[in-house]
Amino acid sequence: MTPQPLEAIAGFAALLRDHGLQVGVAEQQAMVRAAMSLPLERAAQLNPAWRAIACRDVQDWRRWPELFSRYWHPHQARGQVRMSGQTRPSRDLRHLVQNLHDHLARTQPAQAPDAALQAPPPVAEGAPPAERTQGGASRAEPLHDRALAMWLPQDLAQLERLAERIARQLRRRLTRRWRDDLAGRRLDLRRTLRASLRTGGLPVHPVWRTPRRERPRLFMLVDVSRSMETHAQLFLRIARAFVGALNARVFVFHTRLAEVTPLLRRESATVQEKINAVTAGFGGGTRIATSVADFRGVHARGRLTRHTRVWVLSDGFDADAPHLLAQELAQVRARGARITWFHPGALPPASLALQACAGLVERFVRLNSLRDLAQAANVLQ
Amino acid sequence: MTDAELREALQRAGYLADEALATTLWLCGELQRPLLVEGDAGVGKTALAAALARALKQRLVRLQCHEGLDLSQAAYEWNYGRQLLAIRLHETQPEPGSPRMAETDLFAREYLLERPLLTAIASEQPCVLLIDEVDRADEAFEALLLEVLADYQITVPELGTLTARHVPRVVLTSNGTRELSDALRRRCLYHHLDYPSPAREVAIVRATLPAAEQVLVEQAVAFVQGLRREDLAKTPGIAETLDWVRALHRLDFKALPEDPQGLMGTLACLLKTREDRLQCDAPRVRQVMEGRRAGAAEAGSARP
Repeated sequence: MTPQPLEAIAGFAALLRDHGLQVGVAEQQAMVRAAMSLPLERAAQLNPAWRAIACRDVQDWRRWPELFSRYWHPHQARGQVRMSGQTRPSRDLRHLVQNLHDHLARTQPAQAPDAALQAPPPVAEGAPPAERTQGGASRAEPLHDRALAMWLPQDLAQLERLAERIARQLRRRLTRRWRDDLAGRRLDLRRTLRASLRTGGLPVHPVWRTPRRERPRLFMLVDVSRSMETHAQLFLRIARAFVGALNARVFVFHTRLAEVTPLLRRESATVQEKINAVTAGFGGGTRIATSVADFRGVHARGRLTRHTRVWVLSDGFDADAPHLLAQELAQVRARGARITWFHPGALPPASLALQACAGLVERFVRLNSLRDLAQAANVLQ
Repeated sequence: MTDAELREALQRAGYLADEALATTLWLCGELQRPLLVEGDAGVGKTALAAALARALKQRLVRLQCHEGLDLSQAAYEWNYGRQLLAIRLHETQPEPGSPRMAETDLFAREYLLERPLLTAIASEQPCVLLIDEVDRADEAFEALLLEVLADYQITVPELGTLTARHVPRVVLTSNGTRELSDALRRRCLYHHLDYPSPAREVAIVRATLPAAEQVLVEQAVAFVQGLRREDLAKTPGIAETLDWVRALHRLDFKALPEDPQGLMGTLACLLKTREDRLQCDAPRVRQVMEGRRAGAAEAGSARP
């Protein structure tokens, strides 16, 4: 049986929230209003309408088609695992709009958007909400370890302090832009004169400016392949600290690359499960060169400059041809970005692929514990 | 106006919007929410607002954002010079029998200089407000915008709160040079404009330059699409394509020449950095051109 329209929209909003989109009460209301406003024959246009409401940035924008089709057209979604005994709900946008219009005809129209918010979470018949498919994440993924709870609060606090310390000491670049600063040394004559008009021509309110300095842009590529099983958790924790301290963008990869920054921004104990869901279906092995190519050509296109730092957290075992990684890293370097390679082992990775990258990686840094990160803080600039 | 009618109106105004964009614009009107448009430079973000104004037959009010933009340049400013003049006039030539000048007389609407935000709010007729390149303004300016975008009102401490007579259609554009605050994003609907497909780009060029040869347009668009796949520092946008086709048309090209040397002089329309010029030498241009026939065939056969 088709779930109630408001419940279906609430379920969809819950799915979006689960995947890092910031869909709050206001957005959910707007989605209901959009569905109410659209005539029945234009029901297909709910997709772009809701996309405009729910997406906040280009990352959300790119993720939308897959999330939309996963919820509304589950039969078309690829790469999903159907569990035995689980039936997929039948969801049809046209029916939803029809039901919504019927529903509204029976109730007070003005109350309808609010009613959506009181609708229970998606507990429709035939749609087991707690077990909603998450891209086919199986129970045997390499990142199943949920030992995040084993981190003591003081460890987490230390990690955050370290990340902030490193963020502070990364050299800020001087820009050609100026910003207002009471202690600035350059007088903004035009604005000072303008401000003096209200005091009869006396420059009582001088406007001082100082050059703007910006922190470098940081990208972190975290290897979550099977060979990194025991280290990925630590690396993701560290990456999360840098998302908070430096607004870093974080990607995970093994055979493919996916951005997980929105997931890391939220305080959630189930972040590991969500990353499992993102990376599910990537297959075995590690394809670092392919992932770096994807990162350079798609996700960081136009963002790699000489003020960019790219940190790769990986053991360096690459299933691609050994020369490919050097080619890709050379392209990153050609844009001026500085590459640092963090490895869990005592010695820098000795794989063939990385041997060819000797002049491209600025520094190899061991990273296997918080102590290593503290030591790395002394060399990272 | 339905989304389909809006799409047609945009087309008549010279902007070929796809169905999703037309729906989003229509939804902005329905929900009375601003639209934040992001995308690479040259994909038509600013042109969208201008076309929307033409399509709706409304006035376009434009606020160009820049570093250091503040309230006095964006919303309103008191006309201090005129206030001082009024005081002097009152002192030197008091009208017989007129009461003493009160402070409130000096802080009346007639002494208020309207800047784009207030112009849009106070407009007697509905209008389209374009806040262009909002990422260039400081973070503090975003906070100023919040009141305007959420409630369509501006508070002038001396006068009170001025509320919009007609809720303006607001379009904000951003090139993504700086992360915008979450508060600003939350108040807007969002649309990401990407580079158009070959068929759509051909249609856009044809609509803008109807005099250019069809073959030339298809080949030029296929070339630019090929160039976008190259690893360039500054990817050419639609504006660059239009400039280039316009240049080729002025030079009496009926189709792209076989020899890339003939094109090198015109590439200034497409390649805007020294590195890109060095990278795109004649052999590289030939490589891109060799893919053009297949590309042009695709661009010509597909429907926009």
